[in-house]
Amino acid sequence: MIVIKNLSADLGSFHLKDIELSVVKGEYFVVLGPTGSGKTVLLECMAGLHRIRRGEIWIDGSDVTHLAPEDRQVGYVPQDYVLFPFLNVFGNIAFGLRRNRRSQNDIKARVDTVANLMGISHLLSRSPRSLSGGEKQRVALARALAPSPNLLLLDEPLSSLDLQTSKYLRLELRRIHDELGITTVHVTHNQMEAEEIADRIAVLNMGRLEQVGGPDEIFFYPKNEFVSEFIGTPNILDCDFCRNLGQGLVEVHCGGIVLIIPHDGNSVHRIALFPRDIYISKTIPPGPEVNRVRGIISRTKISPTSVRLAVKVGDNELLTEMPHHIFESMGLEVGQKVFLILKLRRIKVYENKAGG
Amino acid sequence: MTRLLRGVAGERAFRWATLSALVVLALFFVVLVVSMFTYTDWRTFLRALFSAEILFAIRLSLLTATLATTLSMLIAVPAAYAISRNRFPGKGVVDSLLDLPIVMPPIALGAALLVFFNAPTGSWIDERVIKIVFAVPGIILAQFTVVSALATRLLKSTFDDIDPRYEQVARTLGYSKVEVFFRVTLPLARNGLIAAVILTWARAVGEFGATITLAGATSMKTETLPVAIYLSLATADVEKAIAVICVLILIAVIVLVVLRRVANRVYRI
Repeated sequence: MIVIKNLSADLGSFHLKDIELSVVKGEYFVVLGPTGSGKTVLLECMAGLHRIRRGEIWIDGSDVTHLAPEDRQVGYVPQDYVLFPFLNVFGNIAFGLRRNRRSQNDIKARVDTVANLMGISHLLSRSPRSLSGGEKQRVALARALAPSPNLLLLDEPLSSLDLQTSKYLRLELRRIHDELGITTVHVTHNQMEAEEIADRIAVLNMGRLEQVGGPDEIFFYPKNEFVSEFIGTPNILDCDFCRNLGQGLVEVHCGGIVLIIPHDGNSVHRIALFPRDIYISKTIPPGPEVNRVRGIISRTKISPTSVRLAVKVGDNELLTEMPHHIFESMGLEVGQKVFLILKLRRIKVYENKAGG
Repeated sequence: MTRLLRGVAGERAFRWATLSALVVLALFFVVLVVSMFTYTDWRTFLRALFSAEILFAIRLSLLTATLATTLSMLIAVPAAYAISRNRFPGKGVVDSLLDLPIVMPPIALGAALLVFFNAPTGSWIDERVIKIVFAVPGIILAQFTVVSALATRLLKSTFDDIDPRYEQVARTLGYSKVEVFFRVTLPLARNGLIAAVILTWARAVGEFGATITLAGATSMKTETLPVAIYLSLATADVEKAIAVICVLILIAVIVLVVLRRVANRVYRI
């Protein structure tokens, strides 16, 4: 496990301030933050690539704060993979193994094992230049994993891949982690990616930790405005009543709003809705009267990309979002009575777990 | 004038003007080479080429240039790496200092060397350690003085182009800083290293000003190829000068071909 105590570091314009963090052994830990938040610097500090101004880093019970990277036994996958162009795929994966003067047979066996795990056995004789982005990523992972490190550090491993490859590799990363049980720290700016893959997430902003917690905790209990905005400013409703209707539907009451949501279970504690999944109408919308509420527009906020309206519904205030042209053509203004349609499929549910 | 040269007609005129300049320049060099061959005939040329003096000059030039290049690279590789990878106070000054020997006339560098070897420390070295002034080691030192900064400059840009993250990844894979330098940095710098060696060597072969000032121009003793041209002309032996020029052209062509093939790009000297 990793323990970071009161860490401060500077690198050019990036600063880390008083980071306190611990990553449990075998955990998939994601550091989430916008560009320039210092998340890469944090990762590189764990790898030993920066001199640390103040604080300590412990890995598996020993103080590594002033240990050189080669003595830390970490597997590091930098952004854009940085494969050695003068070696083929085999040479790249074997690179960290040759250091320990193992026999050729040992090296070959280990490379084969790791290549099999990554599904790249057919690429071993290729040059890194001839690989696709996804293949390069697998080779970089294999290279980092080959010497059996205690810790795997991934810097934006999916950000330069196309959407489909990235989604697939996301599952792969999780699979490999589960198979090897290796403690993994993964840095990303993509909230969806973090939510899907992480055991726990740390949200980093301007070199400071804003919140650390499980994906649900971050999502349903954002500690402050920054975290809430970074995950898409969801409307979060506390539910005071919950009834299972069967057939995968649950009726919930949230501060006067009655909703029927696709869910199984009967302990719904909180639900979350993204502003863009709430539609607005001036007249009674046609269709069944489900997940439909009346409210009064209380605020409007116009940003360059969209318009956000806050609508007061009973005790709650729901945030909706729409493109400029729709806002203008509808002629909405503060104080107006409107109907809201809450999109069923996109509702996120937080179950009442222990302590939740 | 500017009004006349507008539009398609102007474009054409401009293209013709620039192309003519190119043709004039190319023709100029062709004429230079052709005029040399009209001056001499094949047999005189071969006799001059295979004379003891010219063969000596070829051998001496190849030897001294190779030694000077080796020395330069031994110093330039670590020095260039140091200046490329470190930030330290006065880096700008050191950087500019390295440009000085490249821009300065070689004869001035040679004169500075000569002054040094006439001062107490220098003359002590010259008398007790190794004979430099008017001797072969002087040629090597003169060439080294002229080309070492160039080698450092070329290698610095090579190292600058290497992403330090390659080295960082190698460190996390268990290699020490020194091991990383030999196993990652140098292989990544391969093409730049080869190009630097070739350019440094070519410059050393052609070195004249510093060499003649420090080592003198003694026939069959400190007579490199450029010195041989000078001596031949001084004794009005034009055929011999032409033979040496041809040897130098041949070396230049080989250098350019190898550079293009190996480095796969054109380096500015």
